[in-house]
Amino acid sequence: MTNTFLEKPRFTCALGGALVTVNALPKTVPILHASLGCGGMTSASFNAASGYLGSGYCGGNSIPVSGITEREIVFGGVDRLDEQIKNTVDIIDADLFVVISGCTAEIIGDDIASVVKEYNANRNDLPPVLFASGAGFKGNSYWGYDNVLQSLFTDYVEKTTAKRKGLVNIWGIPPAQDVFWEGNLVEIRRLLEALGLTVNSFFTASDSLDSIRSAAEAELNIVLSLVNGIDAARTFEKVHGVPFISTTLPIGAKATQSFLSEVASKLNIDTTVAQRTISKETRSYYHYFNRLIDAYSDIDLQRYTVIIGDSNYALGLTSFAQNELGWIPELIVVTDQLDDQLIDSIQKEFSSIIPDASDKLVFESDTSLVSLEFAKRWPQPDGSRYYRAFSPAFVLGSRLDKDFADSIGAGHLSVSYPVSNRVVLNKGYAGFTGALHLTEDIYSNILSLR
Amino acid sequence: MNYLDKNAPPTRDERLGACCAFGGSVCELLDKSKSGCLGTNGRAFAQSTGCQMMLSLAIVATIPESVIVFHGPVGCGSCLLSSPGLAKQNQLARGNADTLGQLWFSTNLSEQEVVNGGEEKLEETIREVDRRFKPQAIFVAGTCVPAIIGDDIDGVVTNLKGEISAKILPLHCAGFKTKIIATAYDVVYHAILRYLMTDEEENKSLLPENDIEREEYEARRKRTINLLNVASMSRVDETELVRLLNALDLEVNIMPCFSPPDRFIKAKDAAVSVSICATHDDYFVEHLKELYGVPYILNTIPIGIDNTRKWLLDIADFFNIREKALQLIETEEAALKTALAPLRKNLEKKTAFVCAGEIRAGSTAILLENDLGMEVVGVRAYHYDKFGDVLFDTLPRKESIPVNVASSQPFEQVNMLKKIKPDVYLGHLGGNVWAAKCGLPVLPIFGPLNSYLGYKGTFELASRVERLLQNPTYYKTLAQTASQPYHESWYEKDPFTYIQEN
Repeated sequence: MTNTFLEKPRFTCALGGALVTVNALPKTVPILHASLGCGGMTSASFNAASGYLGSGYCGGNSIPVSGITEREIVFGGVDRLDEQIKNTVDIIDADLFVVISGCTAEIIGDDIASVVKEYNANRNDLPPVLFASGAGFKGNSYWGYDNVLQSLFTDYVEKTTAKRKGLVNIWGIPPAQDVFWEGNLVEIRRLLEALGLTVNSFFTASDSLDSIRSAAEAELNIVLSLVNGIDAARTFEKVHGVPFISTTLPIGAKATQSFLSEVASKLNIDTTVAQRTISKETRSYYHYFNRLIDAYSDIDLQRYTVIIGDSNYALGLTSFAQNELGWIPELIVVTDQLDDQLIDSIQKEFSSIIPDASDKLVFESDTSLVSLEFAKRWPQPDGSRYYRAFSPAFVLGSRLDKDFADSIGAGHLSVSYPVSNRVVLNKGYAGFTGALHLTEDIYSNILSLR
Repeated sequence: MNYLDKNAPPTRDERLGACCAFGGSVCELLDKSKSGCLGTNGRAFAQSTGCQMMLSLAIVATIPESVIVFHGPVGCGSCLLSSPGLAKQNQLARGNADTLGQLWFSTNLSEQEVVNGGEEKLEETIREVDRRFKPQAIFVAGTCVPAIIGDDIDGVVTNLKGEISAKILPLHCAGFKTKIIATAYDVVYHAILRYLMTDEEENKSLLPENDIEREEYEARRKRTINLLNVASMSRVDETELVRLLNALDLEVNIMPCFSPPDRFIKAKDAAVSVSICATHDDYFVEHLKELYGVPYILNTIPIGIDNTRKWLLDIADFFNIREKALQLIETEEAALKTALAPLRKNLEKKTAFVCAGEIRAGSTAILLENDLGMEVVGVRAYHYDKFGDVLFDTLPRKESIPVNVASSQPFEQVNMLKKIKPDVYLGHLGGNVWAAKCGLPVLPIFGPLNSYLGYKGTFELASRVERLLQNPTYYKTLAQTASQPYHESWYEKDPFTYIQEN
């Protein structure tokens, strides 16, 4: 990962990512050991900009925090943390707590693990406390997500030799950082259940801490990302011996068909059973999707497109635009920070989706450089009658890309984080159902003036 | 007051002994404050708030033609992702071109810099910002990490002087330094005073050389006010205050929010600075007085009939135009009272709980009591210092009204609300959700399009409360469907159990 400054990065720090992840777990509450503003700062990054996710059960300015001040910087903060944990458990009604450390706590060298260990050793009937690092100088919010999963897998999921046939765990879709996380998880869960599997998805209303505790009984872990949650999957495999597969976020019939086929073959699910499920879903999908034929063929609903988002969405949306909508992806900007090895594997993945992927693909986190990358690839208008305009065009990106879309006269839909101009409740874009929603949203936007 | 020879201003904990944790009656608060025994205090259980760095953005993020560099790990500053579109709307509403848009960078400090220092990376970032965007000003927000590892931000800024065309303003706003988040305002003003108002060249250019023009300029200067706005007032509010001041033949120079960097220099040249909120401006106006002889007015905020009257009369007395102001006030009040009468009928005797910054909380409570005949049954202030005394002293029934000083800390508030059960809750923005989850109708008092200040604002606030109470179904349902994160046992305890006095 290049260690460089960033302009308007589309993520926050590890602490922010850890917070939203903990908040999304069933009846789990974070306890911050950090400066007093870290919770407010990072919650503000997600509460509105993740489609008005809101504070939830105990997020936003209800998050318990030790509130490190100059005194703790000088004398150490473990006593304050200890006091905060005890009082939190006294007041806050939760089944699990996770201490998340901030930069200040880690730089001054507080031994947080020992405080947590001592609490757990003496807790009796009180809820357990886990610990995950959220130090912003160690990683960004995706890293924070991964870290919380690792703590959960190492210190909360119970070790077992028992295996449950047909039980799988899914992750890789980080809450809030994927604005449509819950809808996406619900859809993937629904599809896997349709294959006859039992699913732990950790963060949906159908999940519980009990089922999370017995997650090690799973046959397979399915990581719906080439990037997020991979370290956690390795940890899970090391601690509990459960193997994993890593896939892209499937959006649309074709991508979802191959996702389901891959899972089915990995788990040796009867081919006819799997095929029956896939066919049924596919029929239902095109039953709705094809209502658009008249409009598409009368109005010409094909578009050039610029796709901007983290690796999960850049891949998922490009595949959807190319293979379902029949659009022309011209520029794809991957906005999360990746090391060379990941860049390599993601480039390969893109090459299997679109022609000339290497020309069209950019790894860039700075928001204002998107227009420069576009200008490099498409000539500016030259006043000539036969100038070939980048039109009709559509930008699938975040709210930050609206000005860019306006500047090239393209339509725009906020899909990747941040999304502050849309409300997202149970909507997802993954799978079959999600792709129908996405189709509705894109074309409603394109046709909004009619 | 003059702290400008120092790199950073003192914190408000030190300078004002401001308090961040208190529970009791308004009378008890006033007694303690006036006798000097109200400590900063703390809590043995605390919940998340913002920090001074986050609040500094309330001014800094509004300054057009500038770029913010957050010198810290990547999360510091990410709150600006929450509503990027709003920033543009706010600039356009003030007639600013918004040519750069809201731009910000993070130096993205990693473990490497925690060990080796981050000055080089900061320098590199500032150079690149200047190269890419050529802004008028670059704000450098120094966060917790560089403050602990000892990065010399001022040194970096000095090194780059001459090389970079933008003015570079260091903000010393590490979150751990203060419990009183409003220190942020002092930090921002400190930088503005030190870096945007000291340029000798620009000073000279203020006065026209031509005699006639200079006379005109002088005449205008003598009736020009620095009207100090706050980010949490709308353009509509600014327009209302300008309307009232123009009616007194006064000219208005609005700052600091939404003011381009090169316009601050004009503050030196006004007849007087008028604050609408001492919490926001005392550091700035004191320095303007000390350094440039510009006197100031900062007693109250123009919210509600009584305080708008006081605010206008303070200004009128300064310019010796009391009679004229009284005429204006009389006309305005008569028209407003007629307009309020039908609303008042529906609101009288309804109970209200108010939560906001000290100045706004106090003045809004007075408005509800005196202008609308409502009964204020509880007040919360983000922090408290001597500037609150003037307002809270005039609050009716102050011996019986409970007051809680707390920046967020919803656990204390929810405990209070469950006991008090007001008819309506009026809150600033950000934490209203926790009152809403109690099933209380919530009126967010500030919004970028809301009218709140002056006579117009009083009417609009009354209209909004009345509208809210016409159908509070959304909120009422929440009492059954939304959950609070507290054990039942918490509600049996005193809400101020965890406050620690120092």
